[in-house]
Amino acid sequence: MLTTGNHPGDELQQLLDGRLEAERRAQVEAHLAVCARCRRELAALRWVTAAVRKGLPERDVPAAVAAGVAAALDGADRAARRRRPAWVIGLALAAAAVLVVLVTRGGAPDVVAAAAEELARYRAADLPLQLETGDPRALERLIARSTLRFPVRVFDFGMMGYRLAGGGAHRLAGRRSALFAYEDAGGRRVVCQMYEGRITELPAGAERREHDGIQFRIYRTAGLTLVFWQEGDVVCVLASDGDPEEAVQLAYAKAIKE
Amino acid sequence: MPHGDPEDKRARFEALALPLMGVLYNTALRLTRASEDAADLVQETFLRAYRTFENFRPGTNGKAWLFTILYSVFVNRWKRARREAGPIPPDELEERFQRFVEVAPGADEEAGKTEAWGERWPPEVEAALRALPEAFRAAVLFVDVQELSYEEAAAVLRCPVGTLRSRLFRGRRLLFASLQEYAREAGYLRPVN
Ligand SMILES: [Zn+2]
Repeated sequence: MLTTGNHPGDELQQLLDGRLEAERRAQVEAHLAVCARCRRELAALRWVTAAVRKGLPERDVPAAVAAGVAAALDGADRAARRRRPAWVIGLALAAAAVLVVLVTRGGAPDVVAAAAEELARYRAADLPLQLETGDPRALERLIARSTLRFPVRVFDFGMMGYRLAGGGAHRLAGRRSALFAYEDAGGRRVVCQMYEGRITELPAGAERREHDGIQFRIYRTAGLTLVFWQEGDVVCVLASDGDPEEAVQLAYAKAIKE
Repeated sequence: MPHGDPEDKRARFEALALPLMGVLYNTALRLTRASEDAADLVQETFLRAYRTFENFRPGTNGKAWLFTILYSVFVNRWKRARREAGPIPPDELEERFQRFVEVAPGADEEAGKTEAWGERWPPEVEAALRALPEAFRAAVLFVDVQELSYEEAAAVLRCPVGTLRSRLFRGRRLLFASLQEYAREAGYLRPVN
């Protein structure tokens, strides 16, 4: 039996939501009959629940969102036709997971882990590209029409044997980014991204190098190499599953001093 | 036939998911609190849902299944990148709620009937909901706004039902406390006679 010194607390909510069994409900109702405090609490809960349930303003879906969804499904249909077996995806994601664990100790791992995961997904043919093109200018035009607020230059690695596969406006750990994906004749993959940020926010544990007056932060594990550098307000990251030193050289070739 | 031809899969998926785009978009707006982010979140949710459509069991709650994916994408991509920024600290709201319930009977106003609010809903409710800390906001959003059961909402948030229940309880109290001033001024809280 409840006394006034023993208020039912969140059972008031369960009473309101019809989740109390009959016997308990009778006890709580008996308490309510003698306890003004709980009557007020129940009234407040009932009032606020009705307030949100009665109907918040619903916005129409913008046409651009509906079109984006349709394009994403089309992209998935195309990707499904050349999807690799699930175990390949599993292996690639496992490699990314190792890196996630390694960098988590340093704090703020999001960007590094996410960049590794994106490369793993691309290797597994599990990363739909907004635009599939080998033409860097076409990709730049697409990205220029997006909501990114910084100018983007799509790297051309043609001289180094990497062919542009495509890319588009993307998200890296919640930040707006531009993404470009590449592949070479031997099946090695590179994914580059640019986002607004500072390399000083990156987690500890990076190898630091300087080349032509530009600072580079390098993370590597499980066959993946990630190279970060700063260009103005933008951080560039190059993720590669090829030779680690080659990945660094690719970054050196494309980095521009602030 | 879970592995039908692709055209059939697309058609079945669209029949289930497209009618829910508005619900997903509005939920995404309330989670991310930014329309550009909501657009991205909805697109990513549809893409993930489509890719994992084999996992959906026909006859179960499609809305809850889509919310589970939406919330998982939200947590992975947005939650960590955003700081919580409600105008009033939760502890302060909790104190206000306690003051409301503890006042002597007859000395203050009562929580009136919501029918008194009329047809047009004031933007304050939406604003107060969006200002709630994320864990409490999500509980109120999925149970009260989207009317999922406790069990479905707990599955969406990947937490035990008991945790969902206490977050919901706290979320409702905080929401009431943050609306109290406004409701009193607007006459939705009335003196007890
Ligand atoms: Zn009581």
